Amino acid sequence: MIEAIEQSAYAVWVRESPSFWAYTWILSLHAMGLAIVVGINSIVALRLLGYVPEIKINSLRKLVPWMYVGFTINAFSGLSLLAANASNDLHNWMFFVKLSMIALAMVNLELTKANVFNDPMVINNTGVPAGVKKFAIMSLLFWSLAICAGRLTEYPAFVQAWFGF
Amino acid sequence: MEQTFIRILLSTGVDNYVATHDWVWPVCEIIHFFGMFLLIGAVGLVDLRILGVAKGIPIKSLERFVPLGVIGLVLNLTTGLIFVGGNPVGGPQEYLHNLAFQIKMVLILIAGLNVIAFYVFGIARAADATPAEGDAPMSAKFVAGLSLLLWFSVILFGRYIMYNDTLLYVLGL
Repeated sequence: MIEAIEQSAYAVWVRESPSFWAYTWILSLHAMGLAIVVGINSIVALRLLGYVPEIKINSLRKLVPWMYVGFTINAFSGLSLLAANASNDLHNWMFFVKLSMIALAMVNLELTKANVFNDPMVINNTGVPAGVKKFAIMSLLFWSLAICAGRLTEYPAFVQAWFGF
Repeated sequence: MEQTFIRILLSTGVDNYVATHDWVWPVCEIIHFFGMFLLIGAVGLVDLRILGVAKGIPIKSLERFVPLGVIGLVLNLTTGLIFVGGNPVGGPQEYLHNLAFQIKMVLILIAGLNVIAFYVFGIARAADATPAEGDAPMSAKFVAGLSLLLWFSVILFGRYIMYNDTLLYVLGL
């Protein structure tokens, strides 16, 4: 199964084509998507933590679709890169740490939408609901760990040497 | 000039330190990614707002996050110097003679000039005067669009450094 994916025409093209739009472009898209989703997320999180209070939390709501833009770019570029490297990635435990952190970060984003952006006090600019900061801290934590695990996925020998497995 | 730069860089002993500590390269890569999203998050958001996204946020307030982008840039210049100085295969020359790296550096320089133009020609002042729900002036939109294009191209050519052969092939060089 894994081998079939890796040997599929698309996976071979992604991995081996010398085209500008193959491997390196998709890898670049993955970095750009990361910059968009984590970049915007961090600024929103810092505002929720109390920085630049003159910005109304309600006005940040329109940035949420842009986080999904970054996430969608990375879901598709990530699936392409996974197809190209399936056997390496799927035998790398750090890769699953990365996926878990992204899943937690996205669940946290949904909870932030439900509990912060959809709160009547936020919508009417009359106050800030309690517990806002915990969503901000969680998002910074999960995305940071996702990036660390994503980078370390490329260094299995180093991970083995430092973590012992 | 290149030789002087390399001599100064290597006089710090960075090459030896990277060669004898296996954690330095991956940790610097992680920091380089953090610097990237800080820069894109802070500067890119101001650009997006100037272009008309999330107009409820006053541009001047959003600019208060820009120092965070500057911290990101400083992190990336520092870790970037460690990559160039500590390159285990081919040393600093390998980077300095790499077309993707050269293009990336020129793009960063142009992005810097773009920021200077933003402040020197009074475009920033005009943009800052834009109220919440207001439309930024055309000149500011031009600078913001160029800024986004430049910084995302910096990411693209940064990725191409390790695949310079593909870039040379695509360009027919």
